[in-house]
Amino acid sequence: MKTLANIALRNLSRQKRRSILLGSAIAFGVMIVTLINGFAGAFSENVSENFSNLMAGHIFLSGSEKEAGGKELSVIRDDSALTAAVKASGAPVKYITRRSAFTGTLIFEGKKIRTNVDGADLEQETFLRERLLLKKGSWDAMTEAGALILSEKIAAKLNVEVGDRILVQMQTVTGQNNVGEFTLAGISYDAGIFGQMMSYANLAYVNELLGLKPGEYQTMGLMLDGLKHTEKSASDIYAGLSESVQLFTRGEKDENGAQTPFQALLKQQKKESWEGVRYRLFTINEVLSQVQQIVAALDTTAAVILVVLFVIIMVGITNTFRMVMFERIGEIGTMRALGVQRGGVRSMFLLEAVFLALGGAVVGILLALVAMSIISLINFGMNSPAFILMKNGHLSFYLPPLKAIGNILVIAALTLVAVASPAGKAAKLTPAEALRTSK
Amino acid sequence: MGIVELQNVRKVYPLGKLQVEAVKGVSFCIEKGDFISIAGPSGSGKTTILNMIGLVDQPTSGEVLLDGKPTSSLKDAELTRLRHETLGFIFQSFNLIPVLNVWENIEFPLLLGKTRVGKDEKKEWIDHLIEEVGLSDWRKHKPNELSGGQRQRVAIARALVTRPQIVLADEPTANLDSATGEQILELMKKINRELETTFIFSTHDARIVDTADHIIRLRDGLVTENRRRDEDATAACASADASSGAAGA
Ligand SMILES: Nc1ncnc2c1ncn2[C@@H]1O[C@H](COP(=O)(O)OP(=O)(O)O)[C@@H](O)[C@H]1O
Ligand SMILES: [Mg+2]
Repeated sequence: MKTLANIALRNLSRQKRRSILLGSAIAFGVMIVTLINGFAGAFSENVSENFSNLMAGHIFLSGSEKEAGGKELSVIRDDSALTAAVKASGAPVKYITRRSAFTGTLIFEGKKIRTNVDGADLEQETFLRERLLLKKGSWDAMTEAGALILSEKIAAKLNVEVGDRILVQMQTVTGQNNVGEFTLAGISYDAGIFGQMMSYANLAYVNELLGLKPGEYQTMGLMLDGLKHTEKSASDIYAGLSESVQLFTRGEKDENGAQTPFQALLKQQKKESWEGVRYRLFTINEVLSQVQQIVAALDTTAAVILVVLFVIIMVGITNTFRMVMFERIGEIGTMRALGVQRGGVRSMFLLEAVFLALGGAVVGILLALVAMSIISLINFGMNSPAFILMKNGHLSFYLPPLKAIGNILVIAALTLVAVASPAGKAAKLTPAEALRTSK
Repeated sequence: MGIVELQNVRKVYPLGKLQVEAVKGVSFCIEKGDFISIAGPSGSGKTTILNMIGLVDQPTSGEVLLDGKPTSSLKDAELTRLRHETLGFIFQSFNLIPVLNVWENIEFPLLLGKTRVGKDEKKEWIDHLIEEVGLSDWRKHKPNELSGGQRQRVAIARALVTRPQIVLADEPTANLDSATGEQILELMKKINRELETTFIFSTHDARIVDTADHIIRLRDGLVTENRRRDEDATAACASADASSGAAGA
């Protein structure tokens, strides 16, 4: 067997141009597929990581309070039970953010726009300054109570400049109409389609507008030491919290026909009857479940391309090896006469093809890795519209090793199928036939 | 006892709608250690007969016995194993494996089958054979770097490496000039004497027939002459019958 493997390997170099051509076709196919896999691999992580930065957390806790009238207020008044449970869980929390938010209408000189305004404690959330790059204005101006930062897009729609005063119409937590006034402190670069919707104000002023007291807020965000800890930590914290506070059930999906777990949670909350204060725990993954669908779609695309490319390449392999078989018919006869069994002849052809496929696949993966590292050197900048897909403004790739190995195995298997018939024919020849045909 | 016996062997090839009877009922007996020539013009059936003795082809009817054992009922895998264990082959067009060098070509048959030879013993034996066929300076060369005569020498060494009982050579000199052909034949004869290997070679060249101990002449698929050391040898393997009778008793 070792001898036959050795001969199979050497046979590959006999028709160098033919082997190189076929090997390159395989390498090219593998490279394309690997690039897609690599992009999909990093896509989910990048999107989630970027979102957790924008949303200021990987795990979120929000409070709901039932009023006497049956009305629900979104508020966390006392978070000591929450922080205690977080601490007790041992989750790798880098920092905790406390935010309130509302959706309201911003008005400036007759122009109106509906947007979401996040109230953040900027003294504590220092990282926000690094994440959100300002095109105009400065973070220092945020010390003013009514200061506001808008995205480029929204600022343009309102036609406002730094220093302008903007009117806001919104509702308090109890549903009463309220009006306030912001001063534009800065205009941020658009961080992709989602970043456009982000406007930031001081927590204290947002609380005031919402009718909350200082020290109260709506959502606690836990920024972890990396996305990968999210689900484990979330379960731990949830388990800990369930002993001290009332909680909404986690992750019940689609009962109400909602598309995302987040929506499902919102609907579920309306339906259930309960009293007092209840907390909800959700994670960035639940919010971004659609990202997983995109990743699945990318991977499916890669698989389809893999199959289509390789069906084409397989036809090439089958034809080539049919030719190879006829060229070597005399050798087959000789080897059979000298004592090589039928299986040996078959293995020799199969091995030759598999070596070619493996060589091509490995080269393809290496080429893809090289291409990935070159592409990821390009700096698209933090203000690129595709920011949300990237890591610090660079396209990044992650090739799951199992996926690479899987691709190699798929190719090896398809190649075996492709040469099965020529190899079978070679093995079937009687030695006399083979020896005679060669003359 | 005959080492090879053909009993009324026929071989019919289908040729489109027709049938070609290449061998039309041939019987003969070959003695162990002989140097046998199967002679006859082109198309007389030499290759067909050698193929059947060499177990690379099977008779349409009749029986080929090797060392007294019938072979017609054996399966392909058993025939292959038997070829590997008892037969050596030399071909008209040398048939070396192009990707292997001289040493590797000679070694090749030793790497097949189940029996393993000790490394040192193997090396010594191959080196001895290389020396015997006069290619000591060429062991690392590939077949395409050798002359026809040299290639056939490699083939001879390869045929002998498994120490077969019988070496079959189908027109081993046909692709060589006459001087080289004579050298090859002499080499085969020398090894035949030294190792007592039975050599069966076919030729259509009347001049080289005479070196043989035993001459079987063919014409149109029939034996026209069967002479062993100037005696008639048309009788079947008498001693083989006797020994099989003795074994049965
Ligand atoms: N596979 C085959 N199919 C059809 N005819 C064959 C085949 N092999 C040999 N023959 C025919 O059988 C006859 C004997 O062939 P062969 O044994 O090769 O003769 P030789 O070796 O003496 O030249 C020839 O007529 C040849 O054409
Ligand atoms: Mg012939």
